Amino acid sequence: MSGVRGPGWEAPVTVAELVNAGPLAGARMYGAGENPVRGVRIVDEPSVFATVTPHTAVVLIGTAASGGWAVEMAMRRAWEQAAACVIAPAGGLSEGSGEVLAERLGVTLIFVDEDPLVVAVRVASAASRPDAARTQLVARCATRLAEAGASARRVLGVLNAELPGTSVAFLDRYGATLAGRRDALTDQPTRRETPRAAMGDTSRDKPHEASRDTPLEASRAVSREAPHEGTGETVSAGRSRWSAEVEVPDEEGGVLGTLVAAGSSRSPGWPAVVRTVLELAVAPLTAWAARERLRASRDFALQASLAERLLTEPEPEPELGFDPAPRPQGGVEDTDSARAAAIALGWPIRGPLTAYRIRPLAEPGQAAPVGPGDGPLAYTLITAALGQVPVLTRGDGWAGWSALGPSDLAERLGQALRSMPWPCAGGAGAQVEGLGGLAESLLGAEAAAYVAGGAGVVRRADRMGPAELLGALPTAALRAPAAVVLRPLLAIDRDGTLLETLGAVLDEGGALRAAERLGVHRNTITTRLDRIKSAGFDLDDAPTRLALQLACHVMLR
Amino acid sequence: MGRLIDRDGLGRFSAGSRLFATGAAQSSYNLAYDWAASVVGPGVELVAAGELAPDTLCVVVSLVGSTTALGEQLPAGDEPERAVRALERRLGERAGAVAALNLAAENALIPLIAAAGLGLPLVDGDGTGRVFPLVEQTTYTLGGMSAAPLALAGGLGELVLLETAADRVEELLRPVVLSVGGWAVAACYPMAARDLARVLVPGTVSLLMRAGEPGAPRSAAAPYGVRTLCRGRIQAVEGSTGHGGELALPSLPSSIVLRESEGLRRLVRLEAHNEIVLALADGAVVATVPDQICMVSTADGMVVDVDKAEPGLEVDIMVVRAAPVWHTDQGLALGGPRAFGITL
Repeated sequence: MSGVRGPGWEAPVTVAELVNAGPLAGARMYGAGENPVRGVRIVDEPSVFATVTPHTAVVLIGTAASGGWAVEMAMRRAWEQAAACVIAPAGGLSEGSGEVLAERLGVTLIFVDEDPLVVAVRVASAASRPDAARTQLVARCATRLAEAGASARRVLGVLNAELPGTSVAFLDRYGATLAGRRDALTDQPTRRETPRAAMGDTSRDKPHEASRDTPLEASRAVSREAPHEGTGETVSAGRSRWSAEVEVPDEEGGVLGTLVAAGSSRSPGWPAVVRTVLELAVAPLTAWAARERLRASRDFALQASLAERLLTEPEPEPELGFDPAPRPQGGVEDTDSARAAAIALGWPIRGPLTAYRIRPLAEPGQAAPVGPGDGPLAYTLITAALGQVPVLTRGDGWAGWSALGPSDLAERLGQALRSMPWPCAGGAGAQVEGLGGLAESLLGAEAAAYVAGGAGVVRRADRMGPAELLGALPTAALRAPAAVVLRPLLAIDRDGTLLETLGAVLDEGGALRAAERLGVHRNTITTRLDRIKSAGFDLDDAPTRLALQLACHVMLR
Repeated sequence: MGRLIDRDGLGRFSAGSRLFATGAAQSSYNLAYDWAASVVGPGVELVAAGELAPDTLCVVVSLVGSTTALGEQLPAGDEPERAVRALERRLGERAGAVAALNLAAENALIPLIAAAGLGLPLVDGDGTGRVFPLVEQTTYTLGGMSAAPLALAGGLGELVLLETAADRVEELLRPVVLSVGGWAVAACYPMAARDLARVLVPGTVSLLMRAGEPGAPRSAAAPYGVRTLCRGRIQAVEGSTGHGGELALPSLPSSIVLRESEGLRRLVRLEAHNEIVLALADGAVVATVPDQICMVSTADGMVVDVDKAEPGLEVDIMVVRAAPVWHTDQGLALGGPRAFGITL
């Protein structure tokens, strides 16, 4: 068993550990409790103190616990003998003066309500087998986590309740708190970096390898992985803080978030225990995310409305560590629920985002080939190709966004279109920073999808020009009106040379260049233009020129 | 021979008797003082025990019970005389001198009143050199003298004679005192002058008279030395446990917690059971009985009674060293920490 544990498991338990999470749970402790406990001594009268060895937990009974004076004398003797702590039955000493003396002498004083003899036995067992005591805590946490089930809030509630002196928070990929206590992060610099990789990027390291790199030891800098800026270890108020973190993968192996724990205990074994408990919480958190995703995939409308909320609601101010307002220590933050749900679903919500739009193509004069009931199928096909992304209903089709860049997105979008049972065109918007810029990106994606025209074609808004606009003209629909407009010309144009010449002159902007394009003499062009004008077309009139150019474009395609 | 305690001497004596005395209620002290002043007349002769003829019967006179009760139920005035006369009748012998049990406030004045009323000299000395709560906690007991037979005169004319083993006197005395109104005057420890000279703490009456002179330092009242432990402010007064539960002492244990005002700012705890029996500073024992530990108010210089201690009061904690006989094994057994149920 010991092979899988960190080195801290064998370190002697400290007094604080006994009180916070061990056999003295619930007792009142005065003093820092940082001394290791190597043994227990029951003291029933003052003379026993002569044989008390250092690092002993002294349990007072009988005469030695009979009154405030006796407890105070015992504390003094414990101090002289360098004992680890004094454990006294409650009621012997007014706790105020006990606290004062504990502080003055630096001797930790613990009041217990139970029979001190029973306490002594339990402390002795914990002191002799520190790993067993810690295993007991881990087992209790495992049981409580199993009871909590797959809920991020409940899991974090259990972690914070069962790991006293320790604050635990669950951060999303972007370093913002989703659940848990903010003070788990108080000593860390604000981390606001771009996500390391897009969702669904399967080339990422396995999360367990990543978490193994995080150091176990207390009072040491926690060196984060490379993309994280700044390391978390600071020394505040003369007391070293430790922290531990464990990455939580989603069901596809990507990063869902990070569990971060921090505290100021100096017990060398404690961070290792905390780490183990955090690892126990990984599976329920992954399960929570997977369940949320499953629910969303079953309920298209749910995820669509969530996506609409993300687009319309202003982003909360989640800046960590820079909040000047004092907040209740260890208060559980009720973070923005839409954002938490989005993280559970694996949606990108920060960093560079790119919008997409899928437009079913309707035959002219016919209704759209898709109906309102087709959303769930579209969702399945889109997420299969793009990964975990939101799918909104937009017009006849769908829209959403992804962390992929426009180029990758366009490619994946093409895959999605090919898998769809309806003819659809797609568009990818420009890449923008964060949800705030998405409206613009969505607009571009919509335009691009419109320009794309053909089934299975994907256009990118950042690559769209005049040719693409012309290409988007509904040529088939315009051909009939164009024929009407050009009828006087077509009537005299037997072989199409007049139409060709008109098109060339309008396209090229002059007779000379039109002659070059068509490979004829300039006078030939002039002659043909005279015939065209004789058919009733005034080429000096700008609207007429535009209409004729459009008509030629349609007729000549 | 030839030293007289007159009105002027009484003033100095009573002032000296209060310097380290606890348990002195103001009204009862005033009463005892007025009583003594009314009977002292031309003066009471003060003699050393060795100056008396060795066979002279000496009787110890003291107030027993509550001084507060004395202030509330006034004496008839004949109590000391009646008590001594009763003891004389029991012994078939006239007393030739009166001695004090202890010299704390009223207890110093009652023997003087008795001596004045009986026309007898007062022996210069007492049975403790300080105050202990029990009648048998005296150097007389240490010297092998018995408090019994003991005659008790109450304020309503009661007269009780106790005859019992020396160590049962207190046990029998207390319910009787309660039943006669809470206080009484006792005449006890009848002994020959040669024995008294052997067992008393000598010279304490004249010592207190010198200490009671205006301008005399307080330490003049402490023949074996006095030290000031510290100055502190009372933080809390609590009920206490763990000592004296099985002891038949008149009051319940209490605990006074102080914080040293200057210097190390130690946490000081005074364990009291009738009197202060133990002083701890940061958990370390700094003084115990049989030495006398008292709190002297920094505001008015008066000794603060244990029952009057209250949070916020600033006091000097002074330790009056007890007579050497109290520091012998025998003396410690009778008046040391163990006698108050404290195991150190």
